[in-house]
Amino acid sequence: MNHLPQAWGRPRDDVYGPYDASYLQSSHPQTHTQQPIVTGTSVLAVKFKDGVVIAADNLASYGSLARFTDVKRLRPFNSRAIVGIGGDVSDMQYIDRLLNSLDIAENYSSEGHGLNARNLHTYLSKVMYKRRSDINPLWNQMLVAGLDGDDKPFLSSVDLLGTTFSSPTLATGFGAHLAQPLLRKVADDESQVSDVAREKAVEAVKECMKVLFYRDARSLDKYSIAVVTKEGGVELKEDEQLENQSWQFADTIRGYGRTQEV
Amino acid sequence: MTSIGTGYDLQNSVFSPDGRNFQVEYAVKAVENGGTCVGIRCKDGVVLAVEKIITSKLLKPGANKRIATVDHNIGVVSSGLVPDGRHFVSRARDEASSWRSTYKAPITLAALAGRLGGYVQAYTLYSSVRPFGVTAIVGAWDSEAELGVDGQVGSGPSIGAGGKVAGTKAGGPSLYMIEPSGLYWGYYGAATGKGRQAAKAELEKLDLASANLSIEAGVKEAARIIYVAHEDSKDKEFELEMSWISSTDGPTKGRHQEVPKDILEEAEKAAKKAMEGEDEEETTATEGETMQE
Amino acid sequence: MASLLGSNTTLTSNPSYSFSQAPHNNAAAGSKEHSFYPYTDNGGSTLGITGNDFAIIAGDTRSTSGYSINTRYSPKVFRIGGDDETGEGAHIMLSVVGFAADGTALKERLNAIVKMYKYQHGKKMSVKACAQRLATILYGKRFFPYYVTAILGGLDEDGKGALYSYDPVGSYEREQCRAAGAAASLIMPFLDNQVNFKNQYLPGTGEGHDLQARQAEPLPRHQVEQLVRDAFTSATERHIEVGDGLQILVLTKEGVEEAFFHLKRD
Repeated sequence: MNHLPQAWGRPRDDVYGPYDASYLQSSHPQTHTQQPIVTGTSVLAVKFKDGVVIAADNLASYGSLARFTDVKRLRPFNSRAIVGIGGDVSDMQYIDRLLNSLDIAENYSSEGHGLNARNLHTYLSKVMYKRRSDINPLWNQMLVAGLDGDDKPFLSSVDLLGTTFSSPTLATGFGAHLAQPLLRKVADDESQVSDVAREKAVEAVKECMKVLFYRDARSLDKYSIAVVTKEGGVELKEDEQLENQSWQFADTIRGYGRTQEV
Repeated sequence: MTSIGTGYDLQNSVFSPDGRNFQVEYAVKAVENGGTCVGIRCKDGVVLAVEKIITSKLLKPGANKRIATVDHNIGVVSSGLVPDGRHFVSRARDEASSWRSTYKAPITLAALAGRLGGYVQAYTLYSSVRPFGVTAIVGAWDSEAELGVDGQVGSGPSIGAGGKVAGTKAGGPSLYMIEPSGLYWGYYGAATGKGRQAAKAELEKLDLASANLSIEAGVKEAARIIYVAHEDSKDKEFELEMSWISSTDGPTKGRHQEVPKDILEEAEKAAKKAMEGEDEEETTATEGETMQE
Repeated sequence: MASLLGSNTTLTSNPSYSFSQAPHNNAAAGSKEHSFYPYTDNGGSTLGITGNDFAIIAGDTRSTSGYSINTRYSPKVFRIGGDDETGEGAHIMLSVVGFAADGTALKERLNAIVKMYKYQHGKKMSVKACAQRLATILYGKRFFPYYVTAILGGLDEDGKGALYSYDPVGSYEREQCRAAGAAASLIMPFLDNQVNFKNQYLPGTGEGHDLQARQAEPLPRHQVEQLVRDAFTSATERHIEVGDGLQILVLTKEGVEEAFFHLKRD
């Protein structure tokens, strides 16, 4: 046992192992984000006949802890573009401020048409690719939803590596595995988009939010949803509640309600 | 021009024996030749207006804007040397954006006016520079809504004070004028440029201090005042440019925007009509005002 | 005290101080999650074949990450040196496969350079020059490479189809045909056999070493197009990262023609 005052109150090496000094400050080379800390999970979006619907839940997790339950992860840019952000929340806030200052600079002049969703996606992909190339990534995956230069529905993704892709339906994070296959039933091909009605798209997204709440442990039943159309601009609701949930199926599953093997 | 020949007016930053900086006074002269600018602080917003003298028929109507946006909620207009005004606006934008990156919130107009006043004043201190040849009117609606910081994603605690002070009222309309000396004051109504005397006289009649004037009425008054102030230099044609910033629940939703074309035209029509009426009634009064200048 | 402890390591071992005052090195004691890897593989395959007066570059349009399909339509073949964003008027084609973000960056850079060349010199960049320039770009990032396999296609000074293939750091050569990407190892042997007639011998020319190899000759366009389609149909069957759609760009002296065919989406 050690009686020196310096050791009082400190975890004992013989019990807990030596202190990992790599966590202490020292003259390090400059370091960058190595992992996300407070994180948001999936973002979902579907294109329909005359717009795009996008949704994300209101949870920010700290590891497995549901840390913040009122986090708005859909960030509206202007009347025809909105960004849904998953991944690190502090990086999301940085991106939000970036978009805010971009919007201010865009409005210095009253002339021109302003930025559309495609322009915004290009901007964000350059930011993300630059940061990954500096080995200082913004730890996010984002969906940019809205209207392009011809006021046609636009939906595209960009992630922490600067990878970009576009599709009639998109989902980030867990949603890429769980929701995307379901959403593809609505529109698997660009040619099918013109047959999708707004109600159908909204319904599909809500249904997927429900599936994600059932199966993604880092998800929440409170969510934000936005619809972007030419007529209505960005219609954003940030305090929605998942409805018509049912655990009826649970008693057919071993380990949930079902206790005995038949 | 008693200063001429004394030598004290040849260098900036140098006082004359009687305590004047002539370079600053010459800068004021440059302002006095510029198109009239007016700013009105109404109860629910701010209106900015400028008399844009058409210097050539080859200029495209409606182009070459003279009112600038600095932040969502802040507008600037200036009389005097146009390039100096542009540089002033550029500085204002830098100040507003650097404030945002430091404090994650929009700059208040009081703070911005302070920064800009300091910046302009610095140009009176050195022999290697000349003072700004502009007097600028800056207007804003500082949001009365409870704003989150920029990039905030949550809404904070739903119970308890959460660091908020109950019952405090923030924000509202704000109007400042910054002169070449760096002097800046807040105003209910401000005017600068060639027709400032007539404009100020008209502004004083509005009783702006009691905050009764609505922004819609303010637009009409501003248009009329620009027309009144133009009276003396009637030979030159001009174009009226106007912008406004209303409260968050008003027509511009707290943003600085150009006054829409239809409202502008209506205000201009009313202004012209008022002028005709005035001409008949009080020809002598107008002459009297000319004497003042 | 500190110096005493620091100089005598045996003192700190048993019984030990829980907080070591001896100068420590900052190496992690256990495993700590670390490092950001700036690359990923987005799958897919590309292929290029030349003929006497044309060059073809094709690629599937699937983009993947792991076992997930990002999208079913993400083109990998681009027009270079076009007059506008549609690529109209382009005289060079480029395909990139590997890490899609690097691919996009590389494409945009080369496109800008080829355009600037035209603006500055008043003539189109030759494919030969463009091929060398692309190698320089790639080698310029030798120590942080563009993680892509590029194929460049055009028509040479004699109007013959020209095809250049690259590795990620700029090593390149002119070839008759080349497959790249995820299913390169599936497609390339097929091409060797069908385009360069490898392992094909003329019957009745002898026994053993006397047997004469069939000489390769440039193939007609319709035959090449069919080869490309067969190559991708087969690659789609055997490789999970290949499928969804097939984009084919054909460059002739008339310009670039584009065709799209569906591939299996499973």
